[in-house]
Amino acid sequence: MSNDLKSFTEGLDSLAQDCESRKGQACSLNELEDLRIEFLGRKGKLARSMGQLGKLDNSDKPAAGKKANEIKQRITEMFDSWQAEINAMEAGRVLGKFDPSMPGRKPWAGSLHPVTLVMDEVCDVLTGLGFEHAAGPEVENDWHNFEALNIPSEHPARDMQDTLYVSERIVLRTHTSPMQIRSMLKRQPPVAVIAPGKVYRRDSDLTHTPMFHQIEGLLVDKDVSMADLRGTLTAFVRQMFGARTEVRFRPSFFPFTEPSAEVDISCVMCGGKGEANGKTCRVCKGTGWVEILGCGMVDPNVFKFVGYDPEVYTGFAFGLGIERVAMLKYGIGDLRMFFENDVRFLEQFA
Amino acid sequence: MLVSLNWLREFVPYEGDIQVLGDRLTMLGLELESIDDPFEGIKDFVIGHVVECDPHPEAEKLSVCRVDVGDELVDIVCGAPNVAKGQKVPVAKVGTVMPDGMKIKKAKLRGVKSHGMICSERELGLSDDHEGIWVLDDSFKPGDKLVDALDLERVVFDFDITPNRADCLSILGFARETALAFDLPLTMPELNLVESGGNAADDVRIVIDDAELCPLYNARIIRDVQTRKAPDWMRFKLLAMGQRPISNIVDCTNYIMFELGQPLHSFDLDLIEDSTIRVAPATDGMKFTTLDKVERKLTASDLLIWDGKKPVALAGVMGGLNSEMHAGSSNVLLEAAVFRPGTVRKTARRLSLPSDASYRFERGVDQVMNRFCMDRAAQLMAETSGGRVVSGVASAEPRPWQDRTHGYRHDRCMRLLGLDLEPEFAKKVFTLEGCTVDDSDPSNWTVSSPSHRLDLEREVDLYEEVGRVYGLDRIPAVLPRVAKSLEGTVTSNTEYGFIKHIKAWGAGAGLNEAINYSFVGDEDLDRLNLPAEGRVHIANPLSEEQNVMRTDIAPGLLNTLKNNLAQGNSHVRIFEVAKKFVADAESDTETNEHNRLGILLYGSRHASDWPWGTDDADYLDIKGHVEHFTEDQLKLGQAEFVLAEDYAYLEPCVEVKLGDEIVGIVGKVKTDIADFYHARKDVWLADLDLSILRDMVTAHEIKFVELPKFPPSRRDVTVIGPATIQARAIRQAIEGAGIKILESVELVAEFVPEGQDEERNLSFRLTYRSPTKTLKDKQVDKEHKKVLAALEKALPVRF
Repeated sequence: MSNDLKSFTEGLDSLAQDCESRKGQACSLNELEDLRIEFLGRKGKLARSMGQLGKLDNSDKPAAGKKANEIKQRITEMFDSWQAEINAMEAGRVLGKFDPSMPGRKPWAGSLHPVTLVMDEVCDVLTGLGFEHAAGPEVENDWHNFEALNIPSEHPARDMQDTLYVSERIVLRTHTSPMQIRSMLKRQPPVAVIAPGKVYRRDSDLTHTPMFHQIEGLLVDKDVSMADLRGTLTAFVRQMFGARTEVRFRPSFFPFTEPSAEVDISCVMCGGKGEANGKTCRVCKGTGWVEILGCGMVDPNVFKFVGYDPEVYTGFAFGLGIERVAMLKYGIGDLRMFFENDVRFLEQFA
Repeated sequence: MLVSLNWLREFVPYEGDIQVLGDRLTMLGLELESIDDPFEGIKDFVIGHVVECDPHPEAEKLSVCRVDVGDELVDIVCGAPNVAKGQKVPVAKVGTVMPDGMKIKKAKLRGVKSHGMICSERELGLSDDHEGIWVLDDSFKPGDKLVDALDLERVVFDFDITPNRADCLSILGFARETALAFDLPLTMPELNLVESGGNAADDVRIVIDDAELCPLYNARIIRDVQTRKAPDWMRFKLLAMGQRPISNIVDCTNYIMFELGQPLHSFDLDLIEDSTIRVAPATDGMKFTTLDKVERKLTASDLLIWDGKKPVALAGVMGGLNSEMHAGSSNVLLEAAVFRPGTVRKTARRLSLPSDASYRFERGVDQVMNRFCMDRAAQLMAETSGGRVVSGVASAEPRPWQDRTHGYRHDRCMRLLGLDLEPEFAKKVFTLEGCTVDDSDPSNWTVSSPSHRLDLEREVDLYEEVGRVYGLDRIPAVLPRVAKSLEGTVTSNTEYGFIKHIKAWGAGAGLNEAINYSFVGDEDLDRLNLPAEGRVHIANPLSEEQNVMRTDIAPGLLNTLKNNLAQGNSHVRIFEVAKKFVADAESDTETNEHNRLGILLYGSRHASDWPWGTDDADYLDIKGHVEHFTEDQLKLGQAEFVLAEDYAYLEPCVEVKLGDEIVGIVGKVKTDIADFYHARKDVWLADLDLSILRDMVTAHEIKFVELPKFPPSRRDVTVIGPATIQARAIRQAIEGAGIKILESVELVAEFVPEGQDEERNLSFRLTYRSPTKTLKDKQVDKEHKKVLAALEKALPVRF
C-alpha cells in the first residue's frame, strides 16, 4: 500500500470519527441538517476528501474508491439514525403537551321522563304478549267512566270529593278503564288491548297527586279464566321485575270485576325477605310484599253495557299505576317530584 | 277496621299465632294493615301499694307516700286529695314515659324527694276522670304490670275492608271469617234479656213514610236508668277498639255496633213528644241542630227521624241536640233501624259527618240480625244502668227481609276460575258462609245467601266465594291462547307509537321531557292573553291554580321554567307531549283533545361554556329544533317560517307552515309575561300540532332517491342588501331563476358591517350538478351569471 493511499484512508477514517464525535451538537432537525451539509454536502468534508482520490495512483484507486463509499455509507447511516432519534424526541415532546384530560365538547344530553320510561317498558312487555294499543279521551263522560263500569250513581267513587267534574255528566277520567269500554264498543271479541294514559283524582297529599298515569289491560274471549289472568300477570311482572319475582293474588273488590284481586309482588328491595341489613325493609314495611296492581274477571254487568253476552264471553282486566312502579324501580321517595320537572331530576333518566 | 283479639276469641276459639291469623284473613280478602298494642303507652306502669302516707311538711295539699312497687319501696310526693295508706294505685316509676310524652324523673317537691308518680285515670289516658288518683282493686299485687293486672287487650288487628264486605265491620264478622278459615265453631253471645212489664208499643208508635228509605225500625224502651260511667271491662274493650268511653248508655250502643255491626241510637224518651217516632225525609232548606251543637241546613234528600212534633235525629248519621241522653235522663228509647245506604252516605258526605255508624249504614246492615242486636244492647243497658227493659218492641217493618236465591253452575264456575274442584268443596264453602244450598239439579244449584252477606247478589258472586276461600293465590298460572287476526299488528299505526317516536326524538335532540298537570289556573291562561271562550273548567277544583284544562301547552312549560329558576337551575331545555283541551258542544265528552309538542329553550345554548362558549339560545336554536323535527325526523320537507302579525304571548311569533297548513308556532315569550316567570333571559317556545303532523306522516312514504353519479360544482355569492330583505326572499329569487342544474342553495355566512346595521351581507353556496354529465366550468359560470342577474333584477341587492 502506498503512503498516499494510507493517508487517504486514514483521512477518511478520521473524518468518520470526527462526524461521530459531533453527534451531541445536533439537537434539532435543523442543526442536524447543518451538520449533514458540513459532512455530506456538495462542498462538505467528505466531498473534499474525495477530491484527493484523483491524485492517487491508478492502482490505488479501486481500493480508495471502495473505502470512500464505505465511509460515505457509514456517515449517511449515522445521520439517518440521528434523525430517527431526533424525530422520536420531537414526537415525545408534542405528545407530552397533549392533554387528554381536557373536558370534551359534549352535546346536550336529553332525557325521557321516568313515567315515560316505565310506561314504554310496560307497553313493550304487554304488546310482546300480543296486546294492542287503545286510546281514549282524558275528559270523559260519566257513562264510560262510571255507569258502564258498573259504578252506579250512588257509588262512593262518584263523589265530588274524589272525582274532578267538568259538568254533571263530564269528568276527568278517574282511571284508564273507560278505554276498555270504548274498545269493546268498537269491536267484537276476541279483544286484547292495553290502554295507557293520564288519569285524575281529586286528591293531593304526600302520596297522591291529582294527576297520575295508569295502564289498563283487557282480554275478552270465550273461556278466558282467572288462570289466564294469573299467567299473563306472572309473565308480565317477571319481565318487568326479574324472573324470580313472586306473585301473590289477594281477593279484593272493584265494581267492574268479579272476582277481583289485588296483586302483590315479592318486594323488589329486599327480595321478599322483609328486611335488609338487619333492618325492616322500608319499601314493603317488613311484609315482603308490595302491592302493584288490581285485576279481576270482567263483571257480567260490564259485558251487558257493551252488548257482549256474558254467557258466551268471559274476560279479565287489570290496571297498574305507573308512578308507583317508577318509584319502586328508581327508588324515588316523593311522588310530587314527578310533576315538578326539576331538570336535575329529569336529567337523571337519560 | 280494628279487631280486638280477645273480643274475637269470645266468638271463636282461635288459639294460634296472631300473624298466621292476620295472613290467612288477608288472603281471604281482609287485608291486614298492622297489629298493634292499644295500651302500648301505659305498658310500663306498675301496681303500687301505699304503705305509708304522711302530710308534706311544707305543703298543705301534698302527701308524702312510701309506695311498695314490688322490688323496692319508693317515696312519692302526691298531690291528689284521695290518696291514703293501704291503697293499691297505678305508679309511673322513674324513667316511665307518660302517654303525653313526659318522662318521669327524680324530683324534689318543696324539699322532699319524689321517685315517681301515682296516676289518675286521665293521666293514663283511660278516661277523663281526674278527681284524684285511681284507686285499684285491693287484690292487685304490687310490682305487677298495670296492663296485666287489668287484663287489658294487648293485640288489636287493623284490617282494610273493601266496600263490599259490610259484614266484616264487626267482631262477629271477623269471627265468621276466622271460623271459616280455620274450621272452628262460632259461638254467639247468649241473650239474657229480662223484660219487666208494660208494653213498648204503647210507649211509642213507629211510622215509616217510605219503605224504600227505611225498611225496618225497631225500638225498645229502658226505664229508670242511671247515666254513669260504664263498667271497666266495657270501657277497656271500647278503648282497645279506639273508642273513647262516654257513658254507660252510649257505650252500650257503641259496644254492640263494634261487636255485631248494628249501629244504634239512644234517645231520651222523655224528650220524644206525642209518643211517636216517624221516619220521613227533611224538606229543602230546613234547619236542624245535631248533638254536636252545629245547626245543619238540610235538603229533601236527607232522611230524618221525627217525633210527633219535631225532627229528633238525622237518620243513621247523628242524633239531634233536642233529644239526646244527658246526665239526668232516666228513660231511654233505643233505636235499631235499617236505612237506605245511599241516603245515609249522601247526607254524611254532604255534611262532612262521617261516623262509625254512618260508615256501617252506608255499606248496609243485617236486617235479620237487627232484633238480636237491639235486645242485647237493651240487656247491657239494663245491666249497667240499673234500669229495666219494658216488655215488647215498638216496631215497623214495611219491607221485611227476603232471602235472595241464585243459580250456581259449578262447571261454569270452574271454567271462570281456571280450577278443577269437586262440587262438594263449593257446597261446603256456601254452607259455612251461611247459605242454604239446593243441589237437586246437579248442573244448576239453587243457593240462597244469608242476610249478612249483602254482597252475594248474583251467581258470579258465588264464584268469587269459591275462589276466595280456595285461595285465588292457588289458581294455576296459564298463558292464554287467543285466536286473533294479525291484521292489527300489520297496520298498526297507533297514537302511542307516534308519540313514543316523538319523545325519542326529543331526548335525542338534547331536551329533557317534562310532564305537567293537564290543568292550570284561569290566571295562567289570562296571563298569556289566551281567549276565555273554549276553556274546559273543572267544577270542583282542588284549588284555583288548577281549575281549568290547558287550552295551550305553554302555561305548563312556563310553570316548569319558573319552578326550575326558583331552584337555581340556570338553563332549561324541555319538551312535553300533552293534550290541549278545548270545549266542543258536538263531542260526546263536550271536549276536543289534541296532542301538542311543546319545546322551551332558556339560557345557555351549549351544554358547557368550555369549549363551546357562553352564548344563550336564540331564535335559530328553537327554529333549528323545529326544522330538525319536521324535516329530518318526520321527513315532511322544508317548512316555511312566516312572521305572524300579532300573537297572544309571543313576540316575535313565527308560524310554521308545511304546504298550506300551519302546523305550529315558534317565538319568544313577550318580556312582560316572561318577567312573571322570573325569566331574565329570552324564553323561546315552540308549539306544534301533533294531530296534523301525524296525519301528514301517515300520508308520507319514504322513497329512496338514487345517489348522484356526477360531481357537483359549487359557486359562492355574497349578497349585499338591506337588512329588511329576508333570507327566504333571496333564496326564492335564486331558485326563481329557473336554472335546471341548480341543485341546492345553502346559506353559509351572515355578516353585518359594524355600525351599519341597515345592511347585511349574506353568503350563499350554490351547488350545480347535472344528472347526465360532468359539468364544465364555463357552463357553470354561464348559469351562475344568469342566477345573479335574476337576483339583481328581483331584489335591490348587489354582490
